[in-house]
Amino acid sequence: MTGGRSLLADALGGQRRLISLSTLLICGHQAGEAAVPFLIGVIIDRAVDGGVDGLFRWLGVLAAVYVGLSYSYRYGERSGERAAEQAAHDLRLRVTGRVLHERGGAEADRLPGALVSIATSDAARVGAVAIAVASGVAAVVGLALAAILLLAISVPLGLVVLLGTPPLLLLTRLFGKPLEERSETEQEHGAHASGIAADLVDGLRVVKGLRAETAAVARYRQRSRSALAATVRAARAEAAYQGLVLMLSGVFLAVVAVIGGLLALDGQISVGQLISSLGLAQFLVGPMSTFGWVGADIAQGRASARRIAAVLDTPAAVPDGAASPVTPVRGGLALRGVDSPPLRGIDLEIAPGELVGIVATDPAEAAELVRLLGRLHDPAAGVIELDGVALATLAPDDLRAVVLAVEHQTDLFDDSVRAAVSLAGRARPASVDAAVAAADADEVAHGLPDGLDTVLDDRARSLSGGQRQRIALARALAGEPPVLVVHDPTTAVDAATEARIAGRLRSMRAGHTTILVTTSPALLAVTDRVIVVHDGTVRTDGTHGDLVAEDDTYRETVLA
Amino acid sequence: MTTESTTLLPIATGRRTLTQLRALVRPRRSRLAGALALLIAGTTAGLVVPPLLGHLVDLATGGGSAGDVVLTGVGLVAAAVVEAALAGFGVALLAQVGEGVLADLRERFVSSALHLPLEQVERAGTGDLTSRVTNDVAVIAEAARSAVPEFTRAALTIVLTLAGMAVLDWRFLVAALIAVPVQAHTVRWYARRAVPLYARQRVAVAAQQHHLLATIDGAPTIRAFRIADAHRDRVATRSRQAVDLLLRGVALQTRFYARLHVAEFAGLAAVLGTGFFLVRGDLVSIGTATAAALYFHGLFGPVNVALALVDDAQAAASGLDRLVGVADLTPPVRQRAVAGDGPDAVVVRGLDFAYRPDRPVLHDVDLTIARGERVALVGSSGAGKTTLAKVIAGVHRPTGGSVVVPAGEVALITQEVHVFAGPLVDDLRLARPDATDDEVSAALDTVDALGWVRQLPDGLDTEVGAGGYVLTAAQAQQLAFARLILADPPMAILDEATAEAGSAGARLLERVATAALAGRTALVVAHRLTQAVSADRVVVLEAGRIVEVGTHRDLIARGGPYATLWRAWSDQRARH
Repeated sequence: MTGGRSLLADALGGQRRLISLSTLLICGHQAGEAAVPFLIGVIIDRAVDGGVDGLFRWLGVLAAVYVGLSYSYRYGERSGERAAEQAAHDLRLRVTGRVLHERGGAEADRLPGALVSIATSDAARVGAVAIAVASGVAAVVGLALAAILLLAISVPLGLVVLLGTPPLLLLTRLFGKPLEERSETEQEHGAHASGIAADLVDGLRVVKGLRAETAAVARYRQRSRSALAATVRAARAEAAYQGLVLMLSGVFLAVVAVIGGLLALDGQISVGQLISSLGLAQFLVGPMSTFGWVGADIAQGRASARRIAAVLDTPAAVPDGAASPVTPVRGGLALRGVDSPPLRGIDLEIAPGELVGIVATDPAEAAELVRLLGRLHDPAAGVIELDGVALATLAPDDLRAVVLAVEHQTDLFDDSVRAAVSLAGRARPASVDAAVAAADADEVAHGLPDGLDTVLDDRARSLSGGQRQRIALARALAGEPPVLVVHDPTTAVDAATEARIAGRLRSMRAGHTTILVTTSPALLAVTDRVIVVHDGTVRTDGTHGDLVAEDDTYRETVLA
Repeated sequence: MTTESTTLLPIATGRRTLTQLRALVRPRRSRLAGALALLIAGTTAGLVVPPLLGHLVDLATGGGSAGDVVLTGVGLVAAAVVEAALAGFGVALLAQVGEGVLADLRERFVSSALHLPLEQVERAGTGDLTSRVTNDVAVIAEAARSAVPEFTRAALTIVLTLAGMAVLDWRFLVAALIAVPVQAHTVRWYARRAVPLYARQRVAVAAQQHHLLATIDGAPTIRAFRIADAHRDRVATRSRQAVDLLLRGVALQTRFYARLHVAEFAGLAAVLGTGFFLVRGDLVSIGTATAAALYFHGLFGPVNVALALVDDAQAAASGLDRLVGVADLTPPVRQRAVAGDGPDAVVVRGLDFAYRPDRPVLHDVDLTIARGERVALVGSSGAGKTTLAKVIAGVHRPTGGSVVVPAGEVALITQEVHVFAGPLVDDLRLARPDATDDEVSAALDTVDALGWVRQLPDGLDTEVGAGGYVLTAAQAQQLAFARLILADPPMAILDEATAEAGSAGARLLERVATAALAGRTALVVAHRLTQAVSADRVVVLEAGRIVEVGTHRDLIARGGPYATLWRAWSDQRARH
């Protein structure tokens, strides 16, 4: 378990050197900023009782302070941002790593968009805590320094500022919090409008296909107007909050000014000191407003850290395993009493090297079977064995090195066709060529501008369904897995091509266990044997020809 | 495929954007004037503070009374309250104007985007449109919400402060203006470097986002094929690139501020020096010199805000150009000839079509479809079936020949299924906004979907689509057919509408499609030849030409290309 708190500590702990450096430098910057109003008082004081050389000496000091504050700001800010970005980058990769982890589970119950937002926005917010910490510490230092300078000028004035600041901060927070919260919910409302617009654009072809443009625009206008009302309310709350802060700091300045004025009138402080203290009181507004956003950023960072931790802590979909597959792999599979809804008590056996078709009358049963063989999850009851070793005792990645189970819904990524098929270079070039030919993907490549080296963008959406399926099938074949399970790989391919593919698939897989989960007669025709799954359990098996001849349900399912 | 997508949607010129903005602001100009008046009054109230503080200093040096000091304090409090109140109302009013303009603009954008000719969308891809409607709108919204009010207040403060300094003594203004050339040069220096850098940043961040989404979306595939390391590396590379560019941006910003520090120091030293000599020459009181110094010190914040917003303004401006570019498009007038009440729904004569001139796709296609007839289009992959369907649907314009279709009467249902986010019933009502609940239920019943829809958590009102209840591909297809029934067009074109459901699902959808097409003229791109068997007529396409037309029975008897296709199809089914 990671937990939000320890994740935040971890992420920042990894950047502690940069954060310390940044804190130190930004403190220096704050000190410089506090010194400037103080020096203004000193210099104006020279006009009353100093010489020209005094003026230039103090302007020299001012210049030195500027050099100091400028450089400390420059490098303090840079190291703070570097810490933030690096922490975010590391978290991004941890989230990606968790999602891709062999044991899975992280993407359950989460939309891909939500995970992306956790890996980007939430990671960035956790990183931003690094800057908030540095700025917060520096604000404290600036405040302390201003207090010390004020105390040095006059103890009562210093005390007023020191004692007055905390209640002022509290007051700002007290008034600000409800306003801020309200403004945030209203803003979310506003963001919804852009989500709706994006959704309509995504479904543009559907809208245009039905000529429903006017209806869609009318609906969007309605949402946009209610979003507008919400954001205007949010803006009002925000403006009220800003006005409040402005007023409180103005009143505070007035109090300091009056007390300082009375002290100066009394002769307890000089005019220069009065000007310095007025300047310092004005300076204090800066660090105080820093507390406002630092608090908010840290709170946001915490919430984001919790969200990230929740992803990292998601229980794995399947337990790890310590056993190893039998080597060399023979490729015999057995399912005994396997329960996993909608499958109920499946018993079947597949011999090493067999080419088997599995026909399920319900597509959901077929999909579940493929998921079980790829160990996306384990069955509720029963056991699945590979060469006599239970799948649940194998590490998922070790299993997948031997059994490749490809779901019907399989993704292509933005890369060249060759890179996709060669599995990032893992497949032998010769088998890549053979697989491309077997899946009839060479014909697809032929129609592309750079053949196999054409880069597919936007996840190959510019290709037709059949073209995508043929490339995906080539990819499944190229790695020459000892056991291959494919689910309806050619639904969008025309009959003649499908028959061609079926024949080549058979010869390319000769000697290797292959399971075709499909109802396509073209594919089933080349199998050694077909197992029929009906109502969640194995109903019968036999050759495709025998089943067509003898089994009515089979005929109905396969030969519509 | 290669990307040439980004340039295909128009981007407005800066001048055009400005004109458009002005037109959008016009109906709100009295509110805008009110907001500015409030902000000017508020800022002026705030600018009373330094002279009051100066007055305090004069009281201290010139032996004023304690009562005078307290009275000055009361003035300070009053100034703070007035400034806060006026600024608060002003900012709220200004944001109202900005948000209103933004809402108008995004509505016009969505309207134009939805009216874009499908051909243009096909070529440009929807990615660009989506990014405009999300990223660009977000950037502009951020600007409208905070940058515009902040900038307005900062700019007013700067101008009015400088005026205040001139009122104290014109020489203070001259001294303060020493900083201006440095600042002007700094902004130019910065904009030159920042604009291209931020453009690269946006591209890098978008690429990172895109890869993350593809990787996360494809996690099951990546796990199955054990290519996680390669994908992790790609995400890491993209993330690293984005981080490096972001840090370069930070470095540039800090150098920007370092230059502004120089300007600050030069101006402050000049104002202080001026005060020093003016006080010694008895030309101004020490209180006035104090007020001038505090004025100038008070400028640091607003100047930094105003100049730092230069790049926000840049980003917002380029976003605006992209929004206005699309919003400005006038919906094209449909130029299809309207067929009368003749018996033929579709008449295609001598049709040629090519996506690229060197690669013709369709040659000399002649096809007539009678009203109420159901025609199946068959042929092997790549024969041009989809292209012909799209040309008839009006997505593509013919390169040669003519297509006559009744205007506005053809619905096109493609393999791209999309479920709109929101209540399921709203999704269906897109097709017919005034449909009653009974009509919606009847349509769902016709496509065999009423059963499972009733089982959903909230029935017809269940939130579906992105962020809602996830429907299967087959269910989404059923919804697509239900929409077709509600839209009730006299003619429908179906392309691959049943292809992605897997073969068992495909049969269910075939049944559903038949129900949805009842009573309509239909052109069905048939991937499964069972769709051809039940059609009134079969059209066989090969290499972009129609090679055979006839009923299933006639074509089988003829023993031509269709018979060959049929044999391949049915052999797998019937032999053994």
